[in-house]
Amino acid sequence: MSPEPLIEVRDLSIQFPVKGYGVVRAVDGVSLRLAPGEIVGLVGESGCGKTTIGRCITGELAATQGEVLLDGKVVGRRRSSAVRRSIQMVYQDPATSLNPRLSVRQVLAELLRVHRLVPRADVEDRCRELLGYVGLPPRALDGYPHQFSGGQRQRIAIARALAVEPRMLVADEPVSALDVSVQATILALFSELRERLGLAILLISHNLAVVRHLSDRVEVMYLGRIAEAAPRDALFGDPRAPYTQVLLKSAPRLSQVGRTPEAPLKGDPPSAIDIPSGCRFHTRCPWAEAVCDTDDPRLLPVDGSGPQRPAADSDTNAHLAACHFRAERRGA
Amino acid sequence: MSTRPVGSTEGGGDQAVALEGLVVRSHPMLRKAAHNRSLIAGATILGILITLAVLAPWIDRYPPLEQNLTEILQTPSWAHWLGTDQLGRDVWSRLLWAGRFDLATGFIVVLIPITIGTIIGTLAGYYKGWPDTVLSRIIDIVMAFPYYVLIITLVFAVGKGIRGIFIAFALTDWVTYARTVRSSTLVIGRLGWSAAAKGGGLSDVRILGRHILPNTITQAIVYATSDIVYVILAVVTLGYLGLGIQAPQPDWGSMIFDGQAFMTTKWWLSTIPGLCVVLTGIGLSLLGDGLADVLRPE
Amino acid sequence: MSNPALQVEGLVVEIMRDRERFRAVDGVSLTVELGKSIGLVGESGCGKSLTLRAIMGLLPERAVVSAGRVTAAGADLPLAGKRVAAARRGRLGMIFQDPGTALDPVMTCGYQIAEAPRRVLGMSRSRADARALELLRLVGIPDAERRMRSYPHELSGGTRQRVMIAIALSSEPKVLLCDEPTTALDVTIQAQILRLLVDLQEEMGLSIVFVTHELALVGELCQDVRVMYAGRLVESGRTADVLARPLHPYTIGLLRSAVDLDVDVSAPVPIPGSLPDPLNRPAGCAFHPRCFLARPGCETADVPLAPAGEGRASACLYVDELVKEGLEVGVP
Repeated sequence: MSPEPLIEVRDLSIQFPVKGYGVVRAVDGVSLRLAPGEIVGLVGESGCGKTTIGRCITGELAATQGEVLLDGKVVGRRRSSAVRRSIQMVYQDPATSLNPRLSVRQVLAELLRVHRLVPRADVEDRCRELLGYVGLPPRALDGYPHQFSGGQRQRIAIARALAVEPRMLVADEPVSALDVSVQATILALFSELRERLGLAILLISHNLAVVRHLSDRVEVMYLGRIAEAAPRDALFGDPRAPYTQVLLKSAPRLSQVGRTPEAPLKGDPPSAIDIPSGCRFHTRCPWAEAVCDTDDPRLLPVDGSGPQRPAADSDTNAHLAACHFRAERRGA
Repeated sequence: MSTRPVGSTEGGGDQAVALEGLVVRSHPMLRKAAHNRSLIAGATILGILITLAVLAPWIDRYPPLEQNLTEILQTPSWAHWLGTDQLGRDVWSRLLWAGRFDLATGFIVVLIPITIGTIIGTLAGYYKGWPDTVLSRIIDIVMAFPYYVLIITLVFAVGKGIRGIFIAFALTDWVTYARTVRSSTLVIGRLGWSAAAKGGGLSDVRILGRHILPNTITQAIVYATSDIVYVILAVVTLGYLGLGIQAPQPDWGSMIFDGQAFMTTKWWLSTIPGLCVVLTGIGLSLLGDGLADVLRPE
Repeated sequence: MSNPALQVEGLVVEIMRDRERFRAVDGVSLTVELGKSIGLVGESGCGKSLTLRAIMGLLPERAVVSAGRVTAAGADLPLAGKRVAAARRGRLGMIFQDPGTALDPVMTCGYQIAEAPRRVLGMSRSRADARALELLRLVGIPDAERRMRSYPHELSGGTRQRVMIAIALSSEPKVLLCDEPTTALDVTIQAQILRLLVDLQEEMGLSIVFVTHELALVGELCQDVRVMYAGRLVESGRTADVLARPLHPYTIGLLRSAVDLDVDVSAPVPIPGSLPDPLNRPAGCAFHPRCFLARPGCETADVPLAPAGEGRASACLYVDELVKEGLEVGVP
């Protein structure tokens, strides 16, 4: 069923040594795929490794184990210009994502010229076109970052990413620093860019509502591993992994007026240096049983059998969960 | 090719309202500079001093080295605006030529350390790793020595006079610049736009030159304004120790030194050159403050 | 009406910027009863944080209270001058957004919590420490004895926030001012902190003023809500009422643009335009350039917050239309 994936991550592990403590396993055996034009939401709380995966895909970090593949070919930190341009990152903080000394025009034109993407005479026009993609008027070319609002700066950052004609965007918390009324606009912008330019997008966020708003598929991460993966509606309608269920219960909702959430999860997340034995979530899982202490569940289809990752033909629309009781945990 | 705004239904309002009057063509820094009182005051004081120094060949009234032993230690008069020194030389002319020399020396001597220091600091902060460790240790070692001890030793070893001063400063003064630039580079190199520049496939040279340096060098520049005063003062101090500017080249330091003997009777011989040094210091300080404000990104 | 725990009348805060003076908070009034909580909602730049800081006497250098009155349990509180901090002890406490920077990194938690009891309430060292231990337990920190001797950097974000709450409670205030205390926290930890605040309210009769940009949070925690825009209150009422039947176009805009788990994915409609530059306030109603209900009358006169029946108030000239049409746009 699945078309050739654009980006594939196979058994990726990324570790960092920490002086005196050993090793932090920020990412511990993650596999996922992105088809062209697909939007996948990577969601989890701080320290789960989602940003680390993003930075590895863009070539900022090296993998300790496993690989990242673009069009079926392995790509590492050192990559050709063409590969580098194919995957672009949009950063979280609009306050520091733009060089305060350069005007918008300078930022965009520099990229166009260095990569010789358009003939010199057309650089200005192409800059206007790029701004047009993100909904900013040509006048903005003259401006400097401090003259723009957070939402506008984020658009400029997106325009910059688009300048090198990428095939995929890694958006790392693209709306977390923005006002709520602006968030929807930027998310809609991503959606239109996908429609218009066929971009694939890896949306990294800790905010479930944001992920739900934009993604085709969702991957939930906990402590370096995927806890659950499913098409969007399946994940939000029928979550099977306890962690997903807990996240959904904890998230604030407008319909919860007058009812404070139960806070089903007590305590703090364990550190990535000292990952619990067995199922890494068992120490905080409200439904943990004896087997969870000893056996580390693999990411498997929730009902019946099916290929598990990273099988070459794995069905991207499968609903997978890493829990021994995934089949029983319906409607919790 | 379409420029229809995307991503917002009623988004047309977004651009119209938000950008009204905010986007201006002229560079924001120049406009800021025009309003900064510190900057204007400092620049004015320095401007006057520099202008006088530059015009020295035309506005001095006597050759500064010309001695006239019949007219020594004259009080200020129409003939000699600031009187004459102990060898009958016109103080006003000597003051101008000394200023010319001191100001030039101050500015030029600082150029080498700021260049070396910025380059080293940038490379250390950007590439990190063992080059950074080595460089940081070198910086620490140089900084461990008291400033003047190092300068004096070097001048003594290399030879007195202007050449010795150049070399001594080039070898010791760069460390402060290297340190500040290195810290700024470490911080800036980690920020979003640097990572984006790298991700955009820009070469290291371009990233350093356009994205990092313009933001890190501001602290170095501001420090340089006070460093110039330190250099002038060091030249003066070296003068006291006989390691400085050799006679008969006029220099504020030696003028102050020479006039010491006459402090009670002809106090202006030491005081006026001293005031010139002070004024230079004030001017540079104000300029430095103003620059710090103007160069800081919003 | 009995002595409310906190009463703010006509608070005005002026700020100097680029040699010009403008009103960042323009005539804000609110009342908090004992044991009740009120939410102050608005986007960044609307003045909500400044309002709290003005109440607490913690305004930054360039900001000055130029009018208004703050009373706590009947006692007038000075808004500037030397007696500002002393007057608030035992009456008001405050917690901040970033627990990482709000705690002193060189003092142990126990020391910081015990500081107020020692210095202000005059307790002996051992009694103050005992009190600190009690407070650590009260805010739900496990292993409290050990935590007494921990430094802030050794703790997780959620625990630090609890420590901050403990410090705020150590001088036994009746009202707790909360400035976006959960914005920097993960969603599961956020739920824990909200739960804690609710429990403290019930157990201690604590009153809470909760500043946030998320309407859903206000819905879960606060009985009353005030909506702020460009320094002024634009709507007020009971939270359930305001969220179900908003009576101001800005509130409607906020609800309509919300990206929320219970809102249909295609639903969010952004509010056009952006916040006005405080030095360039639009004439008349500050919101009118972005308002879907705008009429010629809106730009002529300042629109004050006026009662709109049943404990509601709205700063909209055409509130009657909104009431009549029963615009059901809020909670699904």
